[in-house]
Amino acid sequence: MSRLTLMLTGIAVVLFAVSALAGTAPLSLADCLSALAGQGGDAARVIVWEIRLPRAAAAFGVGVALGLAGAALQGLLQNPLAEPGVLGVSAFAALGAVIAIFFGLAGVSGLVVPLAAILGAGLATLVLVAATLRGASSVTLLLIGIGLSSFAGALVSLAMNLAPNPYSLADLVNWMMGSVANRSWADIVLAAPAWGIGTALVLLAGPGLRALSLGEDTAISLGADIRRTRLLVIGGTSLLAGASVATAGAIGFVGIVAPHLVRPFVRHDPQRLLVPSALLAGVILLAADILIRVLPFQQELKLGVAAALVGGPVFIWIAARLGRASA
Amino acid sequence: MISVSGLCISIAARRIVDGLSFTLDGGELVALTGPNGAGKSTVLKALAGVTAAASGEIGISGVPASDYGAMARARQVAWLAQSRPVAWNLCVEDVVALGRFAESPAAYGRLGTGGRRAVDTALAKADAVHLVGRSFQALSGGEQARVHLARLLASPAPCLLLDEPCAALDIAHQLSLMETLAAEAATGRAILVVLHDLDLAARFCNRIIVLKDGRKVADDAPERALSADVLAHVFGVRRTGSGGLVRAG
Repeated sequence: MSRLTLMLTGIAVVLFAVSALAGTAPLSLADCLSALAGQGGDAARVIVWEIRLPRAAAAFGVGVALGLAGAALQGLLQNPLAEPGVLGVSAFAALGAVIAIFFGLAGVSGLVVPLAAILGAGLATLVLVAATLRGASSVTLLLIGIGLSSFAGALVSLAMNLAPNPYSLADLVNWMMGSVANRSWADIVLAAPAWGIGTALVLLAGPGLRALSLGEDTAISLGADIRRTRLLVIGGTSLLAGASVATAGAIGFVGIVAPHLVRPFVRHDPQRLLVPSALLAGVILLAADILIRVLPFQQELKLGVAAALVGGPVFIWIAARLGRASA
Repeated sequence: MISVSGLCISIAARRIVDGLSFTLDGGELVALTGPNGAGKSTVLKALAGVTAAASGEIGISGVPASDYGAMARARQVAWLAQSRPVAWNLCVEDVVALGRFAESPAAYGRLGTGGRRAVDTALAKADAVHLVGRSFQALSGGEQARVHLARLLASPAPCLLLDEPCAALDIAHQLSLMETLAAEAATGRAILVVLHDLDLAARFCNRIIVLKDGRKVADDAPERALSADVLAHVFGVRRTGSGGLVRAG
């Protein structure tokens, strides 16, 4: 484990502890700490263990998954602006989840919603990879991503219009903006297998991603199995992004910001980028969620909104720098 | 080392390489030349396993190329493409270490001692030791070319293919690159290099293969391969009394 990975892991542990202390319920520091240790009153224990910690775990898990998916997609497409949110992968995952929920399929099994989200994510990723194979430039890919996002957004509204069940605008906002409020351990348990398998697949693609730094043809001549790398990343990011969206809705930009910050510390190596990017993205979302909880707003800010507030400008900054470099 | 017979390659229904046969042995430095669009790069891509052949056979070390897996083939043949994108700002030694991908797909810092020594030796041969630790994208064109050469030399492959390695190099670097290749061939490697500079090819290479429209026109020692006839009909040039080349006609 590198020093960077250790440091990020340490920060995550500290933030988890802080998140047990932060919230609107009037608990004292001592109450929280004793609840954390499994003592004290029932109410405090429930608030800490059943409300605050699962919410923190959801924020961290979603962040890790999106950071890893972002770093892997960037390596595969050789494009520093690639990320599930920007490329429309998250929006398609949300579409899958919404279709499953609003047409009553969610009742069949708890697995249906995550599976539908993963399927949606996989569909969008396939479109992107097909475009890459036909020689689409970075700009074209981003444009396709914008198209996929708007299209999925429109289809989500359409699905809600057609749905036999009553719906509310709040649901739409939840899916398209993203939030981890009110998540339970059951939500985490549902997403965890997809996150685990997705992580394993993406990490297996690591060496292939480094070879891809020299372009696809050269990577093939080096002995890298590019088709395998592509399949691993498509499968892995679909699982990671799909399960994340099923847990928290579509949260954008964190998958761009984290790899961008990590890159100089791992000598720009696309393989070594993966794990620290995942951890940093987890830490960012965890910290953002803590901040949201303590901000004195009437209604709580959505996590996805907070992520976009910070991530959007960073995205524009990276894009502007890229434009200058290629000009 | 490499034997090609009856190689035909089509791209988008257009025949790019048409019935090409030649051999390349260890210890040889052979130039592949011809006018633009003659199919030189496509031949190299087919040898490197990047482009599929429509028909014909490629043998590598006596075994049909199709019998090799990707990794095994990369241990036999290393290729320097004409366009050499580097997507990320990798550091120099990690780019060179990628030349050993088929042996160990690790970054320089995680290579074994043998792998590291191979990278260091290759950097020295390519005169790029002083670039270690630098970021690739901050290098000049000539420096980048040397790092790519080092990446090729770090490969375990006995056969090296280079597509216009002299493009964008000043004359001193062109000469030093050709000297490095000649020295490498002298150690027993088989080297096929696409060159546009006929004088450079004639000066350093054992043999010159001339392609035109996907067919082999000449395959001989430099002075015979670049006969007045070939110069006139393939390249549309002739030699003046002072030895320079001018446009024919």
